[in-house]
Amino acid sequence: MLVLSRKAGEGFLIGDDITVTIIESKSGTIRIGIDAPRDKKIFRQEVYDKIKEENVEASRWNPVDIDSLGGTIKKRN
Amino acid sequence: METIQTRFGTIEYDASNLLHFPAGMIGLPNLRNFIVIPPKKDGPLFWIQNVDDPDFAFILTDPANFFLDYSVVPDDSEKNSLKIEDEKDCYTLSIVTVPADQNITVNLAAPILYSPQTNRAIQVVLEDNKYQTKTPLPQT
Repeated sequence: MLVLSRKAGEGFLIGDDITVTIIESKSGTIRIGIDAPRDKKIFRQEVYDKIKEENVEASRWNPVDIDSLGGTIKKRN
Repeated sequence: METIQTRFGTIEYDASNLLHFPAGMIGLPNLRNFIVIPPKKDGPLFWIQNVDDPDFAFILTDPANFFLDYSVVPDDSEKNSLKIEDEKDCYTLSIVTVPADQNITVNLAAPILYSPQTNRAIQVVLEDNKYQTKTPLPQT
């Protein structure tokens, strides 16, 4: 992993089209500004990890589930 | 027609008619192409089988079946990924998780946006904290 030291107001680029700026560092929290193309999705790490974990868990169902659930779950309308 | 070996047995599919996720699923970027298995008996659940990795299959539902006020509108970059112009060509689907106790939950925090016109889909994250990855079905 590349490790850089930056002060508030300084920044760095990832490629030509992503600019990351350190806005401020106060009582253990660092505020970061990111300029990136709209199609580059930016996720908070813990949110990304949680969604990934849920996706993996959701993929582990058994073939019998869909038949047994199909009979018990009804649409609202 | 082609075939794939899965834990559900052998599935035959038409490679020209797959549901394509150009960016894969969140955290699972290699899962790009899926066979859509329609519901039996007009039930609310159906499933998609990945062809890139046969271990991955997901149960999906139209969240409007259960959550009347839930709707997701694609932004411009999402419409671009789906290759659609009009947000009316986009439908929302939710991934269903079936734990061992069979108390199923629906992932309202990270829905799938899908366009039947282009057969493309993307998984998105809703920033709104009111939606949970494990949302129980409403009690009826």
